[in-house]
Amino acid sequence: MAGKSGSTPTTYSPSPATRKKKRIPIADADWVRPDNRGFYQCRPAYLRTGAVSTAAGSAYAEFGNTKVIVSVFGPRESKKAMMYSDTGRLNCNVSYTSFATPNRGQGSDNKELSSMLHRALEGVIILESFPKTCVDVFALVLESGGSDLPVVISCASLALADAGILLYDLVASVSVSCIGKNFVIDPISEEESYQDGSLMITCMPSRNEVTQLIVSGGWSTPKINEAMELCLGACSKLGEVMRSCLKDVVTDLKE
Amino acid sequence: MAAANGSSDLSSEMEVDAFRRLFPLRYHEHHLLKSVRPDARKLGSARDTTLALGAVASADGSALAKIGSTTMLAAIKMEVMTPTVECPDEGSIAIEFHMPPICSPLVRPGRPAEAAFVISKQLSDTILSSGMIDLKELCLVGGKAAWMAYLDIYCLDADGALFDTALLSAVAAFSHLNIPVVSLNDDGRIVLVSEDTVRLKLEKPVNTEKRKLKLNALPFSLTCILHKNYILADPTAEEESIMETIVTVVLDSSYQLVSLNKPGGPVLSHTSVIQDCIALARRRAKELQGVLNEAISDMEVD
Repeated sequence: MAGKSGSTPTTYSPSPATRKKKRIPIADADWVRPDNRGFYQCRPAYLRTGAVSTAAGSAYAEFGNTKVIVSVFGPRESKKAMMYSDTGRLNCNVSYTSFATPNRGQGSDNKELSSMLHRALEGVIILESFPKTCVDVFALVLESGGSDLPVVISCASLALADAGILLYDLVASVSVSCIGKNFVIDPISEEESYQDGSLMITCMPSRNEVTQLIVSGGWSTPKINEAMELCLGACSKLGEVMRSCLKDVVTDLKE
Repeated sequence: MAAANGSSDLSSEMEVDAFRRLFPLRYHEHHLLKSVRPDARKLGSARDTTLALGAVASADGSALAKIGSTTMLAAIKMEVMTPTVECPDEGSIAIEFHMPPICSPLVRPGRPAEAAFVISKQLSDTILSSGMIDLKELCLVGGKAAWMAYLDIYCLDADGALFDTALLSAVAAFSHLNIPVVSLNDDGRIVLVSEDTVRLKLEKPVNTEKRKLKLNALPFSLTCILHKNYILADPTAEEESIMETIVTVVLDSSYQLVSLNKPGGPVLSHTSVIQDCIALARRRAKELQGVLNEAISDMEVD
């Protein structure tokens, strides 16, 4: 079978005996979300800075079952041999734990999310403030419960602020899934699995500027407009929550 | 001698923080002379330890352990395998220790830390040889199916005593483990059984009784640093980087020695020193047992 001793045998995780193919009744007007939220209601957000003592700055974010830690190191010497540069560099990495998803994964680096995170953040950081050096932003998704990328981005922005890296503004990120005729904001994994399209916005709430907009699936122009308005509204609310999280730390220190 | 005097003069003028960075060893030795450590601990005492069970919803058993700032998240996922021909009635345990780049400035993505492999091996040796888990308990259908327990431990914050914290989180995750109820279907595959079908007796689960693992002797460990004549229990990352000789003692719940590891280092220790380390580990094992019992009873109240 597996043959040689020492090699790990092939394993499988036991699946439910009676497999019910759940098809969500899209046409139903009274369809409720699996976690009983309103369509335009985000999950309660728990944010905390200073999660990792050895990092220059760090933050922990928990949105429902999505749990993320982001550490920021630097500005420090870049390990990659690169050309001289007047501006600082940003280095991002996102990885998953092997138990983050229902089926045990390999827990490797996620290149796609890493580059998305980089693109979402590079417009916010004042790179001129740390020439010749590099800021590392590392994220670990402890548990994946849907809307992982927006949570990672918002959490990273808090960690950067915690590390004292100069920013134009905090960035808040929110995604919307389109399921049939309905929009659901801040979707969980189950909703993401049967979505027809998704839209994610990362924006700087106080400057009213968007750093990243990702649209996938088929959308009509009026629908895009509606979803964008929805996301921007949610971003500004999330921005306030993030701001108050940072303020709480300072007032705690003073006391 | 002149240089020593020069720097001690300097120390009175220099700010404490700068002195700590420039002369780390001298800074620590100043403290040791007064039998105290920079974080106000006594030499033989460990940092505050907390334990939370069930931290990961997507795993079958999980725990978050914190010793001082060092944080470890352990989670167990149960999968099914075909047992080997040599041991047809035994399951298996696979243990992996990860140091993701978030945990320390020394770890960079794409390059796993060297320490991670060492600790990974040490952990699986300790857990498998301590006799904590009888692999026969992981058997489902003799010769056909057995559990493979994947234990993954992630270091979230590395501030010294990594092995101690990792072992504590691993032991706690095993005591939190709830084995899913399963049955054997017609194709010879193991499938999950929902609570309703068990009540209606539609399917006969193969493991009605074995929902919790029986843990025999729990291993607890203490890492000490040896420096000159001092023994420092439960070192921080800073202490580990300055004073290099470490001794790790693992005792089980009846205070029997499971393993003793002194991987070299410039300090050669007398047997009396090793005995002192074991005495400290004994006290620590009692403490950790208390912390674990408290975490388990907290879990049962919820």
